[in-house]
Amino acid sequence: MNLTKKIVLAEDNSILSKLLQFKLEKEGYQLLIANNGKEAVDLIEDNDPDMILTDIMMPFISGLEVISHVRNKLDRNTPIVVFSSAGQEEMVLNAFNLGATDFMSKPFSPNELIIRIKRLLQ
Amino acid sequence: MLEFFQNSIDSLSSMHIIIKICIYLSLVLASTIFLSLIYLKNLRDRLKIKRRIEATYQKKYESDLIEYLYAGDDETENEQQQKIVIYLKKCAANRLKRKIIIGTFLKLKNDVSGETADAIQKLYYQTGLIESATSKLKSKKWDVVAKAIRELTQFEIKETHDEIIKLVNHPKKQVRFEIQKYLVQLFRFEGLEFLNIIENELSEWDQIQLLEILNKFKNLQLPDMSDWLRSKNDSVVSFTLKLVRIHNQFGVKDEIIALFNHSNPEIRVEAINLVNHLGIYEAVAILKTGVFERTLEEQIAFFKMMEEMSMPDDIEFIKEHMNHKNFYIRISVMKIMNLITVGDDNTFTINNIAEEYQINTNLTKAS
Repeated sequence: MNLTKKIVLAEDNSILSKLLQFKLEKEGYQLLIANNGKEAVDLIEDNDPDMILTDIMMPFISGLEVISHVRNKLDRNTPIVVFSSAGQEEMVLNAFNLGATDFMSKPFSPNELIIRIKRLLQ
Repeated sequence: MLEFFQNSIDSLSSMHIIIKICIYLSLVLASTIFLSLIYLKNLRDRLKIKRRIEATYQKKYESDLIEYLYAGDDETENEQQQKIVIYLKKCAANRLKRKIIIGTFLKLKNDVSGETADAIQKLYYQTGLIESATSKLKSKKWDVVAKAIRELTQFEIKETHDEIIKLVNHPKKQVRFEIQKYLVQLFRFEGLEFLNIIENELSEWDQIQLLEILNKFKNLQLPDMSDWLRSKNDSVVSFTLKLVRIHNQFGVKDEIIALFNHSNPEIRVEAINLVNHLGIYEAVAILKTGVFERTLEEQIAFFKMMEEMSMPDDIEFIKEHMNHKNFYIRISVMKIMNLITVGDDNTFTINNIAEEYQINTNLTKAS
């Protein structure tokens, strides 16, 4: 039985995705990368991850729609961490209303993100 | 074929002059369109190739950067990191590659903080990109200078402060604005030192942008703003008044009182507005003397201020202006006398009035 925890990352900044992939794989997690919200929804449906990391602003389907899909359509309680940028405070509130678990404001420290992931997956 | 051309030329020569001109023009137009199509096709191909090259390099530099950061997790700088530094330094000598490298660094730096951001900044130094940006500060092209300053701001390079501050009175406003952003973003309130030396106007838009940047920094020691309130540059005074308001700088009340006699009427009005905000009660008596020698805007600002600052002793003075010809002054007076209540939607209701304070209702209704 494979005990590696799966994390879906929905992020359109390719280099940030790569960096987080290196960091999280080093910590023993399996990271599945989606470049947009649509890919993220497909990955979530196919892989049933233990955690979802999603940017709020993404092409095709936004982070808010991803949260809504997971909570309302798939009816899953998977922890969801949202990445927001400056000036998106209103959207972060909407994300929490939709069922987001935590949020990190960009620019964020990747090491801090790992600590939060570990805590949420405990 | 030859016969066909011969016949065509013969028939063309026998045609009417207007038809001939039309045919010649059509031929010229057709050749121009044909040549343009070839040129555009060529241009599109070249741009496609350029984009492909850029995408390839970007991918390569992204991998290099990640590798550098990943190798850096081992605490000590290792051989692998050195190799990447040497490679990127070599690439940075080429203009296109340098642009891609900088774009790649910024793409990640804008989204991360802490150790990773520090590591990217370190790599910026190591690859010699800082020297390249610094040398551009001496360029005669203003856009090159502006871009270099923006780059140094984005990478938070403080060492170039002395060179950049020299350009604070640059003839191009775009360069000046990049300098102001550099100073405020990196040195926060200390960066406002440029207000001592700036000779050009600080536009309203620039002021808003600078205040927006400063607003991000909390709990910082504020500098003494007295000198800026005495500046000969009106835009500096105006900007400082905004800072005074935002940060409630009561300590500069004497300078604010002195601004009641400033040559610029807008600054005088703004100074009067600040009296109420900061609660400078001693300024009320100063303003009351000769208020009607001031401009109408100042008079309106004075009565508006008195809505909050008036004392029982002022009632007699205020009462005299209950039927003032200006609507705003009249409204302020009536508010002070508690004769009307102004609602949130700017409608007002007339309260019970003592007989001695008769409002000229005709004037009020007309307004």
